[in-house]
Amino acid sequence: MQPEEAQITDVELLKAIVREDETALAELYDRYRVILFGLLVRILNSREEAEDILQEVFLQVWRRAADFDENRGRVFTWLVTLARSRGIDRLRSLAARERVAQAGAREAGEEVSDAVADAFRSEQRGLITSALAQLPDEQKRALMLAYFDGLTQSEIAAKLDAPLGTVKTRMRSGLSKLRELLGNKSASFGF
Amino acid sequence: MTHNDYKEMIPAHALSALDAAEDRVLKEHLAGCEECRHELDDWLTTTAGLALDAPPLEPSAHVRQQILAQVHEIKVEVAPSKVLPFVAPKKSVWSSFGSLGAIAAALLFVGLIVYVVLLWRENRAIRLQVESVVAENNRIKQDLEFKNQWTQLSSAPGSKMSELNATPMAPGATAKLAFDKTGHAMLMTRGLPKAPEGKQYQLWFIVGNEKMPGKTFSPDAGGSGMLMDQVPSSAMDSAVFAITLEPTGGVKAPTGQIYLVSRS
Repeated sequence: MQPEEAQITDVELLKAIVREDETALAELYDRYRVILFGLLVRILNSREEAEDILQEVFLQVWRRAADFDENRGRVFTWLVTLARSRGIDRLRSLAARERVAQAGAREAGEEVSDAVADAFRSEQRGLITSALAQLPDEQKRALMLAYFDGLTQSEIAAKLDAPLGTVKTRMRSGLSKLRELLGNKSASFGF
Repeated sequence: MTHNDYKEMIPAHALSALDAAEDRVLKEHLAGCEECRHELDDWLTTTAGLALDAPPLEPSAHVRQQILAQVHEIKVEVAPSKVLPFVAPKKSVWSSFGSLGAIAAALLFVGLIVYVVLLWRENRAIRLQVESVVAENNRIKQDLEFKNQWTQLSSAPGSKMSELNATPMAPGATAKLAFDKTGHAMLMTRGLPKAPEGKQYQLWFIVGNEKMPGKTFSPDAGGSGMLMDQVPSSAMDSAVFAITLEPTGGVKAPTGQIYLVSRS
């Protein structure tokens, strides 16, 4: 039996991308496409827009892989931050919040293969789901409105008809609690 | 604004949830504060985890193909040209004209160098112009965004507007402060003199003898300033608003002269 080949780390892939290795970009895409695409569809509520942004994100990775600094965080964090930032920018420029806010209007997504779904349904997702379930509803709501709907604190205050100061406190407390709950586990799960 | 004020804004920035003016102020601070940049990296690690709350979805297969095709195109565009190896010419009867040809080539070369330098200088001037136009465009966009938010805030049900009048320290200056029922406030000033080095203007909420500090701001060269702040709950109904000149970053109790003040 052949010894199992050690998997190339995300950081090594980025270093190979800096050397213009197209296969490294393809490998990085294969690792993160479903999670980034899921995030973008949740933000934009449109497969077409999400695919457009996903493409932009990986072209940006190709051009800016050298900017990644492993001392500042993990590749997962860098990719999610790039994707979400572009997704929120597109959302705001499309003024598509009304669409997002319409209950039940979410576009049905294409199912992922069982193997891929299993990979992302596993411990990583369980960890975040469990942490979110422990937050008070009002804190979780404020975080979700900011993270996925791209609303600012003032917009959230108006939407929830709550004082701005209260919303700021909820967001800060919610995120602090989340950080505490994820704690060191986040590093071992790659985010 | 103090260092701690900025630190408190970082979690919201990691969620892209700051209002435009606050976001701009924080980004300026982040550019010069390594501690806050580290803090931001920590918060981004936490917020990135939220992405896992979105159900994973499979993009269409053509997305991968398009990305790789475009990357390949980029590579081809920037690949170095294939230069043919130089082959020394054989001597011929024409070699007697070689020295003249060399002189002509040298002159042509010098001419080309001069031409390239001129082009480069022209290019640099154009680039500076473009950068200046882009910066101006960004400033106008930010102003527009602030004014849109101002319109929304001042027309919201239950919002209040207060005019601040100039003292002899700033003849001709004016300011308006609008705030909604949640205390979210916006300030616009006109005609304030430029703040000296090491100084900024600071907003104050005065209720009776109590003077509560607001945020600081620096007007542009035309004396126009914009600020977003939060009116303390005790100042919502009967406060006097004032603007003083204070050390950069602001102070907890006013030390400088009042430049603008609302009626009590």
